[in-house]
Amino acid sequence: MSKPVRIVERRSIQSGAKMLQGLPDVGLVGVIAASHIISKLKMSEVAYIDTDLLPPVIVLQEGLPHSPVRIFGDGNLLVLVSDIAISIQAIQPMMRAITDWIEEKGVEIVISLGGLATPNRQNIETPKVYGAGSNFESLEILKEKNIKIIERGFLVGPQALLLQYCAEKEIPAISLLAQSFYNYPDPEAAAAVITALNQIVEVPVNVSELLEKGEEIRLRMRDIMRRTQSEMMRMRKSQEYDIPHYYVA
Amino acid sequence: MTWRRRSIFDLMREYMERFEEMAEEIFEEAFGKPSWDVDSRTLKPLSDITVTPREVIITVDLPFAKPETVRINWVREDMIEVNAKMRTKVRFEDLGVSHREGEFSSFHCPIQLPVPVENREVKISFKRGILEIRLPRKRGYRIRVE
Repeated sequence: MSKPVRIVERRSIQSGAKMLQGLPDVGLVGVIAASHIISKLKMSEVAYIDTDLLPPVIVLQEGLPHSPVRIFGDGNLLVLVSDIAISIQAIQPMMRAITDWIEEKGVEIVISLGGLATPNRQNIETPKVYGAGSNFESLEILKEKNIKIIERGFLVGPQALLLQYCAEKEIPAISLLAQSFYNYPDPEAAAAVITALNQIVEVPVNVSELLEKGEEIRLRMRDIMRRTQSEMMRMRKSQEYDIPHYYVA
Repeated sequence: MTWRRRSIFDLMREYMERFEEMAEEIFEEAFGKPSWDVDSRTLKPLSDITVTPREVIITVDLPFAKPETVRINWVREDMIEVNAKMRTKVRFEDLGVSHREGEFSSFHCPIQLPVPVENREVKISFKRGILEIRLPRKRGYRIRVE
């Protein structure tokens, strides 16, 4: 029986790479940050996701078909990004397959870039960035860089599963989450998360362009945001607002 | 048949379920149509509604909007519409689309109100390109807690 999710490599992947994850989530923070990095570093597609669990959508680029969920690469940096919202049926099998692939390719560390939905975001001048890790080693990295750790609470969505599946396989993984709008594209939060990322992995991109082109980015990303919002509702993303229940550790 | 008096929690759950169903319906309806209209040269902006015990808070993301052109109209008792002109015309080409023709110069957004509101004492602000409209809720009946 064929696997429900296949990762098809277009180029050979070198062992020991660092991988960034920027799938659609709150404020499209990961998508905006990942797309900016891919564009500025002129990264090329090194692999793509092939699965019947996604809607029958292709992305046309210079007239040629591409999978909407792709991995771009440059040297030892890999970036996972999607042009479409990931449906709830696809998230778990896809994140499991990606974690298996990460293990197989000997990826050194996985860093998810995302948002932490914050009410009254429009009153926040500079979004703060929080972190979570898959193991003590990952948490140590966050502490060294003075990135505040989310000690307790809920995470929902692709970055949550990636953290959990990497923990199972003892792969160092980190989630960097910037305070963001829930359902409006947030380039300022993307800039904040790239700045935090640069403390851990050097990614030589200037974030000022993200801020300068903020309005254009917000305009262009309305449709993917609308569809992501619909999927977030289905996956009960709002549970991240919930206060964890009391228990004695 | 056993008749059980509905508790405040039942009512709250029913209200939340109804609200979620309504939101799903709005999403499904929205996806059947494009977020732009070439004839009226308008784009549909992203919007959001929050219901608090006292207010209905509506936000609308309006990048490139001229704040002085933002207009809020009552279409009917349970619907408002937001219109705003953009500082610059945007063509499909500017958005990376080469197989369509047309340009857009304003935003248009009808918004269905989930609960009855007063049309007086409406508070409006525009910050970081986001319009915020605060509408006081109409006072309804109170459920007595015994």
